[in-house]
Amino acid sequence: MSTQFLSPEKIKDTKPPVIGLKGRRIGLRIFATVIMIVYSVVTLFPFYALFIRSFVPTKESSELHLWLPEVQEVSVNQEIGNLAVFYNLDMKAFKIAMGIPETAYIPSRDKLVDVAEKYNLNIADIQQYFEGFYLYNGWNTLFRTSMNSQTFWRALTRTFIVTFFSLLLSIILSIMTGYGLAGLKRKDQMTVYNIYLLQMVIPIMLIILPQYQLFQWIYNLFPQYNVQGSAFRYSAQLIALILINIKGTALSTMIFTSAISGIPKDLEDSAMIDGASRIQYLRQILFPLLKVPIVSLVVIQLPAFYNQFLEPYVYLDPPNSTLLPFIQSAVGQFSTNFQVIYAGVFASVVPLVILYLVFRSYFVEGVMAGAIKG
Amino acid sequence: MEVPANLPTVQPIKPAKPKLSKMQRSRIRSDWAFIAPQFIIFVVLTIVPLFVAIPILFTDKAQFNDPQVNPVGWKNFTAVFTERSVQDDYLPALQKTVIFVLLNYTTIYIFGLSLALLMYEVGFKGGFFTIVYMPLMLSGLATGYAAVMLFAQETGTGNLLLMKAGIIKEQINIYSATGTAFILPLMVGWRYAGYNMAIFLSGLLSIPTETIEASVVDGASYWQRLFRIYFPQMLPSFILATTMCLIGSFSVFDELVALGATYVNPEAKLLSIIFFTYGFQIDRLAMGMTLALETFVPLMLLGILLQRLQRRLQY
Repeated sequence: MSTQFLSPEKIKDTKPPVIGLKGRRIGLRIFATVIMIVYSVVTLFPFYALFIRSFVPTKESSELHLWLPEVQEVSVNQEIGNLAVFYNLDMKAFKIAMGIPETAYIPSRDKLVDVAEKYNLNIADIQQYFEGFYLYNGWNTLFRTSMNSQTFWRALTRTFIVTFFSLLLSIILSIMTGYGLAGLKRKDQMTVYNIYLLQMVIPIMLIILPQYQLFQWIYNLFPQYNVQGSAFRYSAQLIALILINIKGTALSTMIFTSAISGIPKDLEDSAMIDGASRIQYLRQILFPLLKVPIVSLVVIQLPAFYNQFLEPYVYLDPPNSTLLPFIQSAVGQFSTNFQVIYAGVFASVVPLVILYLVFRSYFVEGVMAGAIKG
Repeated sequence: MEVPANLPTVQPIKPAKPKLSKMQRSRIRSDWAFIAPQFIIFVVLTIVPLFVAIPILFTDKAQFNDPQVNPVGWKNFTAVFTERSVQDDYLPALQKTVIFVLLNYTTIYIFGLSLALLMYEVGFKGGFFTIVYMPLMLSGLATGYAAVMLFAQETGTGNLLLMKAGIIKEQINIYSATGTAFILPLMVGWRYAGYNMAIFLSGLLSIPTETIEASVVDGASYWQRLFRIYFPQMLPSFILATTMCLIGSFSVFDELVALGATYVNPEAKLLSIIFFTYGFQIDRLAMGMTLALETFVPLMLLGILLQRLQRRLQY
């Protein structure tokens, strides 16, 4: 019996560890801080390296660069063909800037000095034209590139449009779904809810082929769709993309169903007694109460929509593409110029990262709220 | 609280029932008006495709707008056991995918779980969360290109840095079999670290603090607390993370495209790439659909099972 209770000596014995616990807590804090700092550095490094590499010419890429490289200026003895092949020099722009007739043929083995001599140009002018050529080659080439009458900015705009409408409609439709399902009291509500939950276990690769087939059948009903480059074709493709984005997910349904179920039913009843319709109730009373779940859905879906690649890659014609398929095809074209590739990849990342950093507190809050639902 | 016996017993008003059910019926109707718009889109784009595919599976349909389609019976289904060309594509891809899924699954714990435990012990740090979650802003495509940037032979920044620090002796080659197999899960794990951390952290935060305090008072060591208190109560989080990882990493695609899987790099040809090329590039649509179905239906059933289990544990 006596062993069951702590003897006075034993109580004394337990004291030192209590003090030790304090020391351990400090130790833990230091340990945790070190790990957090190391992990943060490792996590941020790829972003930084990507940025730096967008300024490193392919020629110098086998050296370690942790800061903007000190790149030599273009030598006047550089062959023009080299500049065109490895640095994607825009010959047309070069000729216009130098006052060389556009029809003039410049042999690729000609050096810059030869060109200056031939067309009676000032060497200093050429040097000025090529100032920073190597350093900014990636960015210049990226922003100048036009593939299938498609530029970086157009692709970015299209991405913004698709993302905006997808988010807006997805929120509206998901709230409506959540309101219709709220409570999950009836069998039909439960069935619908369970069907939405299936989304989580249906891999995208399983349905992408038949889904595309389905859209092809629908498109074939409209002869206008088969006119290449028509506005009808392009808008139909973008609508397909938006429909795929707004179709509702397990997460969106869970978030709003549980949020709306948590709002007291009395609120709806009193609104009804005051003569509000269900739509009025939804718009004027429910909507303002749903700020947290809306933020939650936005911060989870925004990166997903902005970074969508497979569906736009499959559904959109190249002249109609969003940002990532554009980057992918541009990258394919410049497969030897790594500077352009990394500039393109970095450029595709920047808009969202800026948004993220500006609204970071919403992201943290929303993700944690969403994860609890999940 | 005895009910007085002399209280007049009120008979339930008979006509009330149909009236209520009428209200209920109108409620159901209006509920469906709210549910229908998204539900129709969902069913048409997610559920219907599964059934649309079925008749195509028994044909030799090559393209989406193939004018001539012949029935071939069960040939597509058995091809993976009999047809050499399909086996040569499918089996190596299956092997690579399974390795990828397993390694990717371990990264959930290496990154997500350990970071969540760290955050839980020292308290929630918003700034650190912001950084850990940041890679999720990267697209899969960018993640793949970041892998190339860091670990391409000769030019990889990560390679050059690790060489200089003396951590590695030989450069890692992202385009080699082992390079792809190990670096890719690491990059994907890094990208999803914040997401998995959020899942595990919310699991940890849902544990009643009484049980933890009790274990501390009883003198349980940290490991005992971990395995006896935390993990059993976090089971729903584990199952959720497992489901997400299983379904997500079997259809990993964007990262592979960045590694050149659709054309030059055979090491990055995982199953998703096989299905994609069969459907969109080499005119074996029906075969691609069948292979996808054969691969994913068992996975889907497993996913449903896990989901059921998770919900049972949660409520």
